[in-house]
Amino acid sequence: MTTTEFGIVYAVHIITSHFGSVASKVCECLLRRGPLSSREISRLAESDINHTKVKDILYLLIQHNCVQAFSIEPPDGSESKATVQYIALFSNILHRARYNKFSKVVNEELGSQCSGVLDGLLSNGRLTLEQLIDRDRDSKKQMGSEAIRDSLQKLVAARFVERVPSPEPVLGNKDEGPAQKKRGAKASKIFKEPESLDERILEAATPVDAIRFPFIFEQGSSSTVADDDSNISEGKRKQPEVDYTSGPSNEVIWRPNFEELIRRLRHKACVEMVKERRDEGCANVMKAMLEVGRSQEKKAKTDKSLQMSMGSIYEELIKTDAGREMTQERVEACLEQLSATSSYLPAFVIESDGSYIVDFKSIISVAQKDEMESVVMRRYGKEAFRMFRYLSQEDRFVETDKIADAALTEKKDTPQILLKMWKDGYLHMQKLAVTGVYMPFLLWKVNKLVVSRQMLDEMYHASLNLSLRLTHETDSEKEVILTLLLLPMEKLEGALKERRNKYRAKSVLLTSARFKLDDAIMLFHDF
Amino acid sequence: MSTRRRPAAPISSSSGMTEDTKKILGFIRSKQGIGATKYEITAGTSIQQALVTKATTSLKKSKLIKEVSNKGGKHFLAMEFEPCKELQGGHWYVDGALDVSMIEGLKEFCVKRIEQLKNEVVTLDVIYLCFKKDTLTREQIKEILDNLVLDNVIMAVKSNGSSEHSALRIGEVCYKLIGKKSGGGEARDGAFASIPCGACPHIGLCTPDGAISPTTCVYYQKWLDF
Repeated sequence: MTTTEFGIVYAVHIITSHFGSVASKVCECLLRRGPLSSREISRLAESDINHTKVKDILYLLIQHNCVQAFSIEPPDGSESKATVQYIALFSNILHRARYNKFSKVVNEELGSQCSGVLDGLLSNGRLTLEQLIDRDRDSKKQMGSEAIRDSLQKLVAARFVERVPSPEPVLGNKDEGPAQKKRGAKASKIFKEPESLDERILEAATPVDAIRFPFIFEQGSSSTVADDDSNISEGKRKQPEVDYTSGPSNEVIWRPNFEELIRRLRHKACVEMVKERRDEGCANVMKAMLEVGRSQEKKAKTDKSLQMSMGSIYEELIKTDAGREMTQERVEACLEQLSATSSYLPAFVIESDGSYIVDFKSIISVAQKDEMESVVMRRYGKEAFRMFRYLSQEDRFVETDKIADAALTEKKDTPQILLKMWKDGYLHMQKLAVTGVYMPFLLWKVNKLVVSRQMLDEMYHASLNLSLRLTHETDSEKEVILTLLLLPMEKLEGALKERRNKYRAKSVLLTSARFKLDDAIMLFHDF
Repeated sequence: MSTRRRPAAPISSSSGMTEDTKKILGFIRSKQGIGATKYEITAGTSIQQALVTKATTSLKKSKLIKEVSNKGGKHFLAMEFEPCKELQGGHWYVDGALDVSMIEGLKEFCVKRIEQLKNEVVTLDVIYLCFKKDTLTREQIKEILDNLVLDNVIMAVKSNGSSEHSALRIGEVCYKLIGKKSGGGEARDGAFASIPCGACPHIGLCTPDGAISPTTCVYYQKWLDF
């Protein structure tokens, strides 16, 4: 999905808050115009930023994983050198607003020491082991170098941390457009869709697993990934001779692996959805299934898991306290429930010859539907809610009167309600002129992709608004905030105490609302 | 100069109508309960619109036709015919307006019955029997139940022959109240809908430094006013 307008505005706001306005101008230039060289950025950025300053900012943004450099191989026979260009990593910029969620995931799985090491990588972007140890020496609560080393090893083994990608991967100069069009219908089913430039760059930059997670292979684990040649792709053959993925002391540079962190959050959201819509037992079974299938997932946003047997699910389930309380019969009943489909709720699991597959797309679609319908209800009212649900069910164009009949709304009021939703991008509309009929018929439809994109844009906008409002409240209560630092609660009295309580309550409300809204943003963008 | 008056135009001996007016009345009568709009009369009789307007006014005054308004505009019916359901809007319309209180009352009744019968399999037939004979048709009750499904108050579940639905034919629909015990859970409250921006009709006009902005927003003010 291409980035929406408020997606860009929100991303720029995050960069401004963390790195200042000059960095945000460089970032905005890349987000709006796509890949550019440093000279082009210097020329095109809103205010004049000299070339040296642009390079400094680019290195800063690369350090913090917000920008990736790359170059494209010049055409065969050409004498021109490949120019280094830069691309903004929109998803990684948004991740900056959810570092505490990533920290929590690691804390729950690996403990506070590991989450402490991860925090260091999150706040500094990328560090070597030596730099992590130095950072620990300067901190109040020291862990010690052994603990740091041990924690880093655990983080890499769990794939929460990875070796930094290639700094400047070189892409082959492919001109695939016209050739692809000549392929027939059959061929298009066999060959996958061409990747976008962003996807090609990231794929080219990502090293093979053996390099990306090196500790795993040094320990001689049973993983067969190292033997799997499919990990090597075209871009990876063009790794630079000098290894820039190591620090000055030839130590490896590490960074958070956002793909794995997002995968964990996605799994968490799926378990939560199953718990809400089914029960605790089904949620435990789902959790076990996700554990079984996780290591085999090729990408974070996969539609379905691999097949797994009842035996492997039960084996994983009984590793937990809650799972040990479940009999095999109960697990089978849960799997039957999860595989059941109705007009109300689709199946979350696909059963096939005694094997089971988690249908991620189905689970996420239910959560997305809940979000969409909640907004329609709150913004446009109950009648609009019925109309929206009717059109979502029908999934085709329907004429105005038929909608009014199905939703049992006044025929003369129905067009106004539908028009309001259409103006805000929640409905698709078509006019149908019929010979002999004075007024053309209006036909309406819910286009889920278009609505998802519209909602995502509005959610970025809302998240930006929450952040700006918090800043506004903080600025308005500077005096009160000072007292928070200087005086304990018991010493405050009267109006000042009340103001401080009010400010605190507002701050908590705004922060928690942004936290929950970010879950909804991930639902539409990352999951 | 002659002082004789010009003779009057020839009129029908039965009602004093012009030929055009008779033709229009005949056309309207032929449409029975569906009625006809001015556009349809003009197209159907090939008489100019201005003359159609004059004729319909005169026929209304003579109480030979009546006017029924609905979303599609004004329809003319011959006095001897009642407007059909489609013209009125459907069987939920009374005097051209949707009978909202009746519909809401019926919905409430159906929900209560489904709640009382929660240990049974509730099909359309079961709900139909809860009503007095001839008050509502099965089609009307189904419309009410379908409307409750759209309200997300009940769910319609098709029998697949499993143990839960063993009493039903495969493919027959039964209705349940939405909730954890029904096996589908309740839809969650949206995170976006629970903040002012989610409900705001002016989000398209809102900008960080504009007249409508998060710092000046009245909805935010109310939300944070505690």
